[in-house]
Amino acid sequence: MGTSDGQVLGSTKIIDAGPAAKRWNVVIVSEGYRSSEMDQFAEDARQFGSTLLGTTPFDRLRAAINVYRVDVSSKDSGARDPVSCNGTGAKPKTYFDASFCTNGIRRLLVGNSGRVVKVVNNQVPQWHVALLAVNSPIHGGSGGAVPTFSKAPNAVQIALHEMGHSAFGLADEYEYYAGCATDSGQNNHSGSEPSQPNITTNKNRATVKWRDLILPATAVPTTTNANCAKCDPQPTPVPVGTVGLFEGADYYHCRVYRPEFDCRMRNLNAPFCMVCQQVIEKKLKPFLTS
Amino acid sequence: MATSKKPVHRSKTRESKSAGRKAAKKRQPVKALAKKKSAKKTARGEGTSKRAAKNKPPSRQAKAQSKEPAVAPNALRLTFSYVGDEVQLVSQQAVEMVVPATDAVKNFGRQKGFWAELKSERNKTLYRQVMHNPTRNDAEVFSDDPHQSISRQPAPKRKGVFVVVVPNVPMAAEVALSRSPDPRPSRALGLASVRSLATAPATEIARFKLRK
Repeated sequence: MGTSDGQVLGSTKIIDAGPAAKRWNVVIVSEGYRSSEMDQFAEDARQFGSTLLGTTPFDRLRAAINVYRVDVSSKDSGARDPVSCNGTGAKPKTYFDASFCTNGIRRLLVGNSGRVVKVVNNQVPQWHVALLAVNSPIHGGSGGAVPTFSKAPNAVQIALHEMGHSAFGLADEYEYYAGCATDSGQNNHSGSEPSQPNITTNKNRATVKWRDLILPATAVPTTTNANCAKCDPQPTPVPVGTVGLFEGADYYHCRVYRPEFDCRMRNLNAPFCMVCQQVIEKKLKPFLTS
Repeated sequence: MATSKKPVHRSKTRESKSAGRKAAKKRQPVKALAKKKSAKKTARGEGTSKRAAKNKPPSRQAKAQSKEPAVAPNALRLTFSYVGDEVQLVSQQAVEMVVPATDAVKNFGRQKGFWAELKSERNKTLYRQVMHNPTRNDAEVFSDDPHQSISRQPAPKRKGVFVVVVPNVPMAAEVALSRSPDPRPSRALGLASVRSLATAPATEIARFKLRK
């Protein structure tokens, strides 16, 4: 179990925008790849780098971003998949002990993040974000210090959403907790202004955080939930990409607003909204200097 | 280049503040640090073409400057561990790297959420990083449903690590962590007790002295 089940083989810079001391360094670490599968990991890491730099706003920030891969081999392929979550019961021996069914949640795929941090500290001391790529076709992932994702189709979108949290402090913009059909008690956000830059309780056009992006013709609030006991079912009343104040975010149906109707921080399949894009660009501005 | 400082630090007490002030006085002021950095650049021949730097013998001044002690790396990587509500600073690593832009360092007193602040000895916030609460007691879960591809579920076994990178500046004395308190105890059943649903203003939960 653990580090005796594999070996740290080394690191490779796969996207080079400049010296590590001057750039924003993203590191992708392998988990559940046998030494004979490291070529596959190299390809998976390359694809991740390509997806990252093809995603707005990272596509505009290429000059700021290095991507490294850290090759760590495991004795076995995959991740643990306990039968208690209706999994296969697989118990592969892997370096970071990644497992589905963490806390009894089927798709919650978690590795030993402390171990990942230790390895990345040694391999790429200037790292800013470390991600764990798990060699499993089952859909899953997790957030936290080390965003983790599997090889299932679309799982890379989990990594991008989680990077929004871990690297840029972005909040979740969905308006439910466990789900619109199952929630109770998520009616009204009762608290103070969130510190996160992409949600607000302030509906004053003149002072709201993202006021500079709201056009004069856009109504504020832009949407209002008519029944705070439920998720708001209405479609967007404005063209896609319009920045305004849309009610429902941060796990609550009402009294908290998001900047666009949809965003990657609300829905894995959507692009980052304009406010999130601005936050990312602002955070990475220091890395664009020569 | 990275230098590692390992010992575990617990939340600081008031007694250790005066010792910190004395140590900080011994450190270089910011302007001096900037001058040394530019001197180091000159010594390396940076800012000129590679060929020119190669062909030109180092000047007497450059030779003298190259004997000066190395400039401290410009960032500090702080690694925290947490188990339940207990947060500890487990390592400080000085690293030569760029730090992401700071979040607002003023007028955030009544905000909710989680953040780390780099503090001066006079308790001035020098740098602030807003974070998605790393100590929360729930987890994000992903599905293939295109309409609700993300949701949350309680995950009460909370332990792990998180990392904050801050500027390594002479004025920095401490790092403070702030978090919104859990929802009211009267509602502390089921989902109401979940930390991500906390909506009250954040309060300081831990403060650690930085090693000089």
